[in-house]
Amino acid sequence: MDEAILNIQDLGKSFGDHEVLRKIDLEVHEGEIICIVGSSGSGKSTLLRCINRLEHQTTGKVFFHGHEVGDAQRDVNEYRAKVGMVFQSFNLFNNLTVLENCMLCTRKVLHLSKEEAFGRAIEHLKEVGMAPFINAKPSQLSGGQKQRVAIARSLCMNPEVLLFDEPTSALDPEMVGEVLGVMKQLASTGLTMVVVTHEMAFARDVSTRTVFMDRGYVVEDAPPSELFTNPKSPRTREFLSRYLAA
Amino acid sequence: MLNLFEITDPQNSIEWMLFLTRKYLGMFIEGTGLTLYIATIGTLLGFVLGYVVGIIQDLGSSTGDPLVKRVAIRLAKLVATLYVEAFRDTPMIVQAMIIYYGVRQAGFEMTPVVAGIVVTVLNTGAYMAETVRGGIGSIDAGQREGALSMGMSPMKTMLYVVLPQAFQNVMPEMANTFLTNLKMTSVLNVIAVQELFMAAKTVGGNYYKYFESYLVIAVIYFVLCFAFNQVFLLVERHMRDTDDYALAVEYLEGD
Repeated sequence: MDEAILNIQDLGKSFGDHEVLRKIDLEVHEGEIICIVGSSGSGKSTLLRCINRLEHQTTGKVFFHGHEVGDAQRDVNEYRAKVGMVFQSFNLFNNLTVLENCMLCTRKVLHLSKEEAFGRAIEHLKEVGMAPFINAKPSQLSGGQKQRVAIARSLCMNPEVLLFDEPTSALDPEMVGEVLGVMKQLASTGLTMVVVTHEMAFARDVSTRTVFMDRGYVVEDAPPSELFTNPKSPRTREFLSRYLAA
Repeated sequence: MLNLFEITDPQNSIEWMLFLTRKYLGMFIEGTGLTLYIATIGTLLGFVLGYVVGIIQDLGSSTGDPLVKRVAIRLAKLVATLYVEAFRDTPMIVQAMIIYYGVRQAGFEMTPVVAGIVVTVLNTGAYMAETVRGGIGSIDAGQREGALSMGMSPMKTMLYVVLPQAFQNVMPEMANTFLTNLKMTSVLNVIAVQELFMAAKTVGGNYYKYFESYLVIAVIYFVLCFAFNQVFLLVERHMRDTDDYALAVEYLEGD
């Protein structure tokens, strides 16, 4: 088997007495699209934040290409530049235009030239259909537009893995489609993605592996064809039946 | 028409004000100049100090940082806090006395104007630090996370994402601070800075017309503050986002 891009071993996270993640083991290989599903409070988002180091795990280790992600700020910065993240609340820089949002980090982190950074920004903004809005500020965009810009912004870094933390949960139903459309298109280009989502149809149709989490544990980790049609754990079955009935 | 500034034998308070203004015009102008000078330099340098201290107070260290760095950060934060408290919890007039006489007693020469600027800078810095800290705190945590998640260092994140937004929120308070300083320079007369208040004191003493003399500088302070306030309001309005943006039609597709 090829070497995993990300290898998470025995990861645990507690906030005070509250154990949010327990003994998580997860591997992410190149080209995989992993959807993490589960009810609210099951630890999905915290897992993603631990992978990006926005939260520091209490126990366990994260390996990137076989090397443990260290604690030193410089190592964390370097690692994050290769592991992008798309947030539920977009987190576009409110003081910058769409174009500047997509150029800031390529300029300041990757030290690309202005022309190169501009080229990448336009390329990825076109990809998500937001190129005409380069002069707009985030406050002038709809939720779906913001999320598409946020995705383009992350793509500009040429990440090896892109993490999505409930990218459509803050959107109106009408806008969910446009963002999921962009994500499907990305999936078809071979980008490695880890997506925390409540969109079961997306998980079923697009993911190469679906992970079901419950109370901080990974309960089931299987191809969607198995997990959705023949779940092994009763907890997964219960969760899915509630979702599919709704 | 009677030229109001040609009064030689003033009869009432208005006439006295005009008389004193004309007779001591040079002194009032110099006083105004010095007041503006100290307030401007003091406020600008105070802002710089305030931003530096405010950022220091906001510093965090991760567990992976070397011990030296963590200790240095803790120490810097302690010094920052002590400084802010010392200057926020004592009156400026007392600070002026202590710094001016303290420096002299230590055997160094310091002109009253320099001492006045130093006091204004330190005082402004302390208040500004708190304002900046509040401004930084008012920025949504997601802004910071967005930058960090793409590999920006905490310092660059502060510089390019957090501070520009905090700056906009803090703008009105910065204007306010300048106006406060413009008026607070008046306490510097206690260390013999020849600013406006000192000018009025001197002028009033010459004719025993203190009421009229202080009224003159009250008018000057008022006009200065009023005028600056209008300028700041204009600048603020100018900095606010417009609702319009130009669609980049060259990237429109489809038609």
